[in-house]
Formats: sequence, structure tokens, C-alpha cells
Amino acid sequence: MSSTTPPTDSPGIVVRNVSKRYGRTVALDHVDLEVARGEFAVLAGPSGSGKSTLLNLLAALEKPDTGTIEVGGHLLGRHARHLNHLRRVEVGLVFQLHNLIPRLTALENIEAAMFGTHHGRKARVARAHELLDRLDLSHRANERPPTMSGGERQRVAVARALANEPEVILADEPTGSLDDESADLVLDLFDELRAGGATILAVSHDARLDRRGDRIVSITDLNCAVQ
Amino acid sequence: MTFVGLIARNIISRPLRAVLTASAVAIGVMAVVALGVLTTSLKETATQILDVGNADFTIAQKNSSDIINGTIDAEDIAAIGTIPGVERAVGALISTDAYDESNPLVIEVGLAPADQGPFGVNILDGESYGPDATDQVMLGYVLAKQIGKKVGDTVTVDGHDYQVTGLYRTNISFGNSTMMFPLSYLQGANRLSGQVTLGFVQVAKGADIKKIRATIDGDYQQLTTIETAEDFGRADRNLTLIGAANTGGSLLAGLIAVTGVLNTSLLSFFERIREFGIYRSIGWSRSRVIALVLGEAIVVSIVGAAVGVFLGWGAINVLENLKQLKGIFTPTYDAAIFGRSLGFGLVVAFLGALYPALRAAFVAPITAVRRE
Repeated sequence: MSSTTPPTDSPGIVVRNVSKRYGRTVALDHVDLEVARGEFAVLAGPSGSGKSTLLNLLAALEKPDTGTIEVGGHLLGRHARHLNHLRRVEVGLVFQLHNLIPRLTALENIEAAMFGTHHGRKARVARAHELLDRLDLSHRANERPPTMSGGERQRVAVARALANEPEVILADEPTGSLDDESADLVLDLFDELRAGGATILAVSHDARLDRRGDRIVSITDLNCAVQ
Repeated sequence: MTFVGLIARNIISRPLRAVLTASAVAIGVMAVVALGVLTTSLKETATQILDVGNADFTIAQKNSSDIINGTIDAEDIAAIGTIPGVERAVGALISTDAYDESNPLVIEVGLAPADQGPFGVNILDGESYGPDATDQVMLGYVLAKQIGKKVGDTVTVDGHDYQVTGLYRTNISFGNSTMMFPLSYLQGANRLSGQVTLGFVQVAKGADIKKIRATIDGDYQQLTTIETAEDFGRADRNLTLIGAANTGGSLLAGLIAVTGVLNTSLLSFFERIREFGIYRSIGWSRSRVIALVLGEAIVVSIVGAAVGVFLGWGAINVLENLKQLKGIFTPTYDAAIFGRSLGFGLVVAFLGALYPALRAAFVAPITAVRRE
């Protein structure tokens, strides 16, 4: 299923000639990629091949040295307000290391992602409960991350990424620390979102994820730096 | 969870940081309250002298650093009493002496018995001293109570015994903590024969005070007339110095408090870099991050300011009971001082937390996310 052929329908993600280097290390070298709207693509490749770097660029956490990136039809520019809106609403990012706020409960971590949106307090709480329920975490809503297992933290991180119903979901090893049952919960949710038109790009070494994706994109085929 | 709730959560979850920040603000506010009340009260006590005997204005020596230490020729006061429009001019000599360990600074007033009425002296018990007596004294009723003396008793001042002939009340509060001697005797004791410290002028009904003041200021180049607290401030540089000391002390307290808040906020920032990066990576704007950090500092500072006001009140109580300030310091709690203290707390919070807040706002999301 590995392929670099761009889909023919309207793209959710467009990467054109993107390069990124850190000092002398070239992380990405002239990378091109398109992921269609409503497509679930799995980005595969060995460690250090630039998968997470590409995800970070797509989430506007850092800027490419060259090239252009479009996410959800928006060309990523340098305007701070636009980037904030993109991170908050357009893109849902699941971090590999979860990156939850340890002082806040699972519910509050999800709510925090909805500050600055049109959601009022009640709507934020309701949405957070809905997501926790979908991921079988209702009973852990008021627990803090340090008291939760790795799998539970990962599911909270997924819930936070989906809080604002983003058009594009970027996930770095979203099932890496989940057992089969929990992984199925997350992947079922991804399937549902994809069916609703969301674009999903997930970095993974997990065969369970590969089986659910529409296609597997090999970073080594895209990135001249690792060829 | 509301944004304010998040601010509260962050404060509660770091109690030591919150206490340290609040303490810095509290110490600053305590200093501002104590200095403010002390300065206001001392100014009020000093300017109360303008109200003696319902005088329309007071006369003092020009260019004196402390008008209480100035000297005026008593004949000048007598001559001023004859200016058309002047109803009465009374001269009084004022000096200070130690009474005992508990009352190391007692104000002595030299006044002729005939001038006691116009001066506002109301004898409560006993009678006046004689005009030329050398061993008689009258005591303000507050001082008499403090030192446990009554009419007929003997008081010893500077090794000399005086019989208490009467107790009096004046129309200004600090006058009740003074002792009063015949003018001629006090002049002799201070080697100031024919001199007084201040003149108190009452004008006739319908007379033009401004015109009379202008006449005196013009004819007596060595004297100055004082009608308002502002006039007093110009004539007596001590008030200016007290005000300057208050401003300087408050600024220093502010600097210390800002440094304290800055220190704890900056430490907190370094501990929370990753947290700020996470907020930025999930779409929080820089202004929201700034609002979070400043909000935490402001809430803690308001609590610190409240504690500081309480500590300031305690400090004032300590100062009030200092024997060096007995009789000349009666605390005046002005609402503006407490308003200024709250403002001080807010400004300190803003200045102390602004730099850490800006640093937090400009944390690159990717740098923070990679920080493990």
C-alpha cells in the first residue's frame, strides 16, 4: 500500500519543495506530499528520517527553511494570529509524548485547548466529557496526568487534539502506548472523523494503524535527505 | 474551568511561590502604609498649629528650616497687632525639653496669662500661673494623665521644680500634650529675652486678610505669613523633607517589592517553559499567555497588598507607642493611603511579572515541546 502518488481529489495537506535543517543536519530535503481531504495517510519510515519534523511543520510549530505548506486549504504564512487560529481550530495535533499539563485534570487539559474559541464554559465541559466518554475515560475525567497510565494519557492527548473538531489531524504515534482495545477506540474515532471529511496524517510504526490507513507514505521516498 | 479558575489553580498548586511573591508585595505595601500614615500624621500635627486660637494666619521667621526653631521679636508682634484690620496678635515661644524616659520630647509653650484665652487655652482645673512666676507651670490634660500629675503637684523639668497650677485643653489635639510656662520665664530660661517663636493673628470682621498679609510680608522682610498648609510647607522645609523621605522610602519599598515579584515570577517561568510551549502549541495567543502570567501575579499581589495593609497597621501601632513620638504622632488613617497601597500592589505585580510574562509569550512552541 506504500505510495507517493498524490490523490486526485481536493487536498487537505499540500507540501511543496519543503526543506528543514538544524545546524548542519538536514532533516527534510525538498519534500513534496499531498494528502486528500478525507484521507487517512500513515507516514512511515525509520527513526530520524524526518517524520516528526514534517508533522511539526504541518502543525505550524516551526517554519520550513524553503518551500510552502498548505493545511486545510490555508497557506501557512508568518502571521501570528493566523498561526494561532490554525493551531487552535484547523489542526489537531497528538504529540508523541502526550504533552499534557500535569497540574490540570484530564477534563481541564481538554478544556484548555478550547480557550479562545466560541465555546462557552458549559459547552467546553460538555465537549470534553463527550470525548472522554468516546475514549472510555469518563471515570478518569478528574484525574491528573501523573496519576494516569501511559495509555490513558495518550487517549487524553487524542481527546485534546480533537476538542475543536479540526479539519486536519496530525498524530505522532497515536497508538504507540495503547493496548489493542484502546487502540481500536482511537482508530474507530479516526475512522469516524475521516468519514466526516477530516484529513488525517499519522506517524506510526504500529501495524494496527497501517491496516486502518488509506495508504502508507514512506518518508524515505519523499525525503532526499534519507535516500 | 474558567480562565480565572485556571489562574487560581496555578496559584494554589504552587503555594511556596505564591507565598514568596505575596510576601514581597506585603513588605512593600507595609512600608508604603506605615510611611504614608506617619508622614500624613506628622504633617497634620505640624499644620495643626495654624488652627491655634482660631487665628486667621500665623507669622513665622522667614527662611527657617523649622519654623518651631525660628525667632521673632515680640515687639514686632505687638506692632502687627496695631495694623488696621488686625483684631489681635499673640506671640508665643515654643521650645522642647525632656521630661522622663517615657516622655523624652515634651513641647513647652511660653504664653502670657492674658493671651491664654485668645490662644484657645481653656483651663479645666486650677488656675493660670502668674505672669512673672518662675516656679509655676500648667499642663495639658493629656500630658498630665500620662505623667500622673494633678493641680498642686510638683513636676521637675531639667532639674528645676515647678508647681502645677492648672490643667488645660486647647483646640488642637497635640496642644493637650504640652506644658505651658509664663512667657517671660521661658524666654529667660531659653536665653531668648524679648523673642517669640510664632505670632498668631486674628483679623477684624470684614477685614481683607490678603491685604493685611501683604502689608506684613512687605513691611517685615524677616517674617512670613502662613495661612494654609501649602504656605506652611513653603515656610517649613522639614515638611518638604518629610514628604521627600516618604516618596524616597516608598520608591525603595517599591523597588524591593518589584525585585521580589520579578525574582519569583522569573523562577516560575523557567520551571514552566514547557507548559507555556504546550499552551502555544494548542493555539493560545501570546496575549492569552501574558494574561495568564500577569493574572496570577496580580491575584497574588492583591492578597499580598491586603496582608501588607494589615502589617502596616501593626507597624503604625508600634510607632505610635514609641516614646520618641509620644505627643507628636497621632495616626491619621486616610482612605487615600489604602487606595494608594492597593494601586502600589497592582503596579508592583505588573512591573514584576511583565518581563516573565513576555518571555512566556515568546516561548517557541517547538522548543518547549522538545524540552523533556
